[in-house]
Formats: sequence, C-alpha cells, structure tokens
Amino acid sequence: MKPFTTLTAVAAPLDIAKIDTGVMLPGRFMRIRRIPGVADYANAFVHDLRFDEKDRPRADFVLNLAPYRDAAILVTGMDFGCGSSREGAAYAVLDFGVRALIGPSFGDVFVGNCLQNGIVPAVLPIAAVRELWRQLKQTPGAQITVDLPNQTVIAPDRTRYEFAIDATRKERLLKGLDDVGVTLEHLPQIEAFEQAYRQRKPWLASRN
Amino acid sequence: MNAASARASRTMLDKVWAEHVIVPQPGGEELLYVDLNLVHEGGTFLAFDQMRAEGRRLRKPKLTLAVTDHYLPSLNRNSGTTAIPDPEIRNVVQWLAENTREFGIEHIGPDDERQGITHVIAPELGLTQPGLLIACCDSHTATQGALGALAMPIGHSNQLRHVFSTQTLWQRKPHQMRITINGTPGAHVTAKDIVLAIIARIGIGGASGHAVEYCGDTIRAMSIEARLTICNMSIEAGARIGMIAPDDTTYEYMHGRPYMPKGADWDCALQYWRTLPSDDDVQYDRELALDASTLAPMVSWGTSPEDSAPITGRVPDPASVADPERRGRIERALNYMQLAPGTHLSSIAVNRVFIGSCTNARIEDLRAAAHVVRGRRVAVPSMVVPGSTAVKRQAEAEGLDRIFLAAGFEWRDSSCSMCGGSNGDLLARGQRSASTTNRNFEGRQGPGAMTHIMSPAMAAAAAITGRLTDVRAL
Ligand code: SF4
Repeated sequence: MKPFTTLTAVAAPLDIAKIDTGVMLPGRFMRIRRIPGVADYANAFVHDLRFDEKDRPRADFVLNLAPYRDAAILVTGMDFGCGSSREGAAYAVLDFGVRALIGPSFGDVFVGNCLQNGIVPAVLPIAAVRELWRQLKQTPGAQITVDLPNQTVIAPDRTRYEFAIDATRKERLLKGLDDVGVTLEHLPQIEAFEQAYRQRKPWLASRN
Repeated sequence: MNAASARASRTMLDKVWAEHVIVPQPGGEELLYVDLNLVHEGGTFLAFDQMRAEGRRLRKPKLTLAVTDHYLPSLNRNSGTTAIPDPEIRNVVQWLAENTREFGIEHIGPDDERQGITHVIAPELGLTQPGLLIACCDSHTATQGALGALAMPIGHSNQLRHVFSTQTLWQRKPHQMRITINGTPGAHVTAKDIVLAIIARIGIGGASGHAVEYCGDTIRAMSIEARLTICNMSIEAGARIGMIAPDDTTYEYMHGRPYMPKGADWDCALQYWRTLPSDDDVQYDRELALDASTLAPMVSWGTSPEDSAPITGRVPDPASVADPERRGRIERALNYMQLAPGTHLSSIAVNRVFIGSCTNARIEDLRAAAHVVRGRRVAVPSMVVPGSTAVKRQAEAEGLDRIFLAAGFEWRDSSCSMCGGSNGDLLARGQRSASTTNRNFEGRQGPGAMTHIMSPAMAAAAAITGRLTDVRAL
C-alpha cells in the first residue's frame, strides 16, 4: 500500500448526502476482477450517478465535468460510505484515482476499508465542508492540500482546517502499512506462538 | 465468591479465545491465531487478485481449504464447469480453481466426491473440531460452533487477504450471552423452530456484539445435525459467533472422520476437548431462557427472520402495534410480502418449495422431509438440494431420493442453490416460496421474490398442500 504524506490535487465537490457503499460500487460490478493495468473498479465507482440507463455519461454530474474528472480529492456529503460492509467500495474510490476524502462523516466499516487502501478520510465540521464546496464550485479545477503529518486541510483560498485522526491510523497511513503490514511487524511473536502452540497441541502439528 | 475464583471461572469462549491470543490487548483488538481458513468462490477472487498484485503468497497454505458451493449449478453437473451458461457465473467458478492452483491451496472442486456447502462439509470431513479457531469469508460461519469451535465470519477481500498473508486475525473479544433451552419439544418441533423462536423473541439485532453459547437439556439431547442448525442462525440474531459445548454426542459424531486426529493423537485431543465446556459458576453478560416444550412449528411471514410466528397464528396487524417504528416496519414487510393483516398463516399459498442450504440440508433434514412426503404428491414445483455430495449419496443409499422423486420433487446436486440464488437458481418476481433456508430478506431468493422460512418437515408439508401447513395436522 502506498504511504500517504501530503497531497495537493484537484478536488471535486460531491455534495450528496448518504452515498452508501452500494451506490459507490453497485452489486453487479462485484463479479469484476482487479488486475493491475487490465481491469479495475474505476468505471464502477458511483456508476449509476455518472451514467444513465444506456450507459451514457450524465452531462450534469460533477465528476463528468472536465476540470473535476481528474480529482484525486473528493469533498463528500454526510455519511459517505454508509450501508453494507462491502470491502470493494474502497477499491472503487482508489481505482477512480482518489486518495483523500473530506466530509462531515463517513461510514464506520468503510473508514476501515479506506485505511486498508491508503485513502485518507478527513472529517471536518459541516460548515467547513460547505465552504470547500462553495470554493470548488466557484473555481472548477481548484486544488486542495491534505497534509496528513500536520492533520491539516488547506482550502483553495489558503484557509487551513485541522482534522482529527486516531494516532495509530495516522501512523499506518504515513508508513503505508495496511493490516498485513502492521501484523507482519509482529512476525517474531507469531512464530514463537506457533512453536509453543504446536507443542501444546501435538495432534494439530501435522497440519501446522 | 472471592475475586480469585471469579477470575478462575471461564466460559468456553474465554478458554478457546485465550488459546489463540498472540498479541494480547484486553478490551482492544487482539491478534489471534487462525487454525483453519475456509474459502469459497463468492467474491474471494478479489483477495487473490490483491495478493497477486502485491506479490504475496499464503503464509500457511496447508491451513486454508477452498470449496466451491455458492455459484455451482445444481443441475447438469456432469457437463463440467465449461458448460455453465452464464459467463459471469462460469468465471467465478473457474477463477477459484485457477487461484487455488496458483497459490497452492487444497480445493474441493465441483467434481470432488467431498463437495458440498462449506459449513456442511467442514463438520462432515472432520475439519471442524472443538477448540479450533476457524475463519471463513461467509456470514454463516458460526454454524461450525456447534462442535465447540470458535468459528468466525470474515470479509472476502481485505480480511481474507490478511488471513492468507499472516494466518492471523485482529479481533475484539465480544460480549457473551447464554441462551438456555430446556424442555422436550413436541412432535415436529425441530432445531429450526427453536432458533426461529429465539430470533422472533430477541430480534435480528438481539445478540449484536455478543457471542452466543447455547446450553440446556434440549441442546444436550440434540443430534449434531440439529445443533448445527441452531448455530447456523446465530447471525440472524446479530451474533457473529455461536457455540455449543462438545459432549459425548459430539465425540461420537467426530470419531473416525477423515481430518480427525487418530489413535494416540485422538486420545490426546479428547483430553483437551473435555476441558473446554464453560465452568459451572461462570457469569455471562446476558442470559435468555426458553422452554422448548411450549413451542409449535414456526414459519416466517415478513422480510426478516425475526418476523416469525407459530404456524397456528396469523399475520400481525400493524394497526395494533403501538411503537411507530415497528408498525412502519411491519407495514413495509406486509406490503412486500403481499399479505393482508390478520391472514391465517396456514392459508398462505406458495408457488415453490426449496429444501436445501447450510441450515437444513443434512441427512436428518432430508429424512424428516421424506418422512412427510412418503406416499404423497407435491402440489407445487418443489426441489431438494442436498447440503453435500456425501449427504446426497447417503440419502440415495437410504432410498430417500426415490421417495422425493415419486412425490414429484426435483432431486438435484449439492450447491447453495436457491438459498441466495448466486448460481442462478432464483425464484421469479412475485413468486412465493416455502424454504428451509435462513434468510427471508427482500430479494434474497430473487428480485421481488417472497420467502417463508421453516423446517424441512414444514417445507415438505407445504409442498404437499401448496400452502403453509401445520405438519402436525397433515
Ligand atoms: S447455503 Fe445459503 S446461507 Fe449457507 S453458505 Fe450458501 S448462500 Fe450462504
């Protein structure tokens, strides 16, 4: 997983409340594989908001407008990522090219899955989020900075907003450590456990 | 009781959990060792693709076993997986075969004599043992807790990749709830009816955040098959873990199964297993007691397993419910189920009957259904999908297939089939089923399809009359 330090990039205002994981990654896309360079979930990301029934881009949807299309930061509405625990929703965000989310609140399980994929979910008060939406709409293509070490979001107008993030989560994002990375730091402990375990339960030894 | 003895008494979960803690962090997420990781084809290709993209291998490939069950056709199996008509379903089935080959994982594939629904074959093959920590990327993993295993559901991408790569899991220890069931159930009142009665009482979130241990005389008198049915539906009460202490019934069931320890190893293991049951004086966070002798066969009427009632009852009337939340939920459920308030449950006509799934497709379930069906004819299209290929063979050896076929049932090959319809075995929109499965959510058996869940004997009775029927009166 890629470490995250500071990202300055084009941001898009996605000011729709309660985009759940099923909207982020509609069920019918869950039979698609993710093979680097061949197939991913970029097209699936909020597919039904971006495209109509005939798969034509909806001309008025924000992520279809030229300057926003390449956004690597999304400023989202309330409860982004609520709903089912489908882990693929975070893949869809990542594959669409997004590395940071800024919003008033996020689904719990979804946040966990973002952390597995190096995506920063930054929670700001709704007033700050509204102000970001306003600036991004006023100046399409405007950039935002997400500075993780200093836990700061820098708005297009240079206003700085601090956000809170759990210290362990922050460190994992900075180091690029997902669950597997964190766990493998305990490898000596795991191996010692296994050795003792085999001795305690010899009838399992043949399989261990 | 002094502090020392309070500390000394432990539940079965406490004991098994403690055996698996690698990185302790009481109150927080602890790193646990996984004895066995079970994988099926549904969605797991995501974990494999991620592993491949990161250049990872399985840390302990021998401790993972893969089974094809969810997407496997229940018909026309001899033609092989290349004959699966739907390309998306075919792909999912074939990817598991390719991935397990590439990553060096044992795979019980479509043609394997041991094939079946994961939670059915793991106990059957002796993979499920008391005291083991078993992970499986499926919400009904708790089924296997019926033998005293700590069986936990995990996600099929990130979490599965974590188990693949480390053979461990980060988990917070749940609260603990004891459900004590005493009393002798009446005729045709089965494990399914008991677990539906529990869920109807406490609701689908009733045991959230808790691991459930099922205790009591009724459980002790139950076969392993029946105990598996009980634990299977723990998740429908909100619990990710359900367990039953092993006893002589358990050991008798387990002995001699292919993956069980043998000879001196068995004796050694048995000695350990006997230490697992919860201590007598232990305190649980929550308690619930149920008298099984007062129960009748149950059916569901709504869109959640908690919407279940005795077959002698009626569909509830939302107008008589004071709580506006609950009233609204019942109204929505009845609207989806196209049922009028106050309808007698035994007057509801069905279009189809499905006997199958990891809840109720073991040999005893098929025997119970065949017993009802013998010498009668079905009134609506009905099918039996055995929980495993071994169950199918056993049933054929006992002549059960001939009873079902003579009555007009379809006799299919083992698969998850119409439980969730991943393999394409779906109910049509607006069709109503009597089903031995565990979930009656909106669209569970197909978009716009309506599901009533019940025991195998009750489903068999519905097949004969074409409506929900009290099997005791048939
Ligand atoms: S039979 Fe149904 S509940 Fe059981 S594993 Fe298959 S789909 Fe899930």
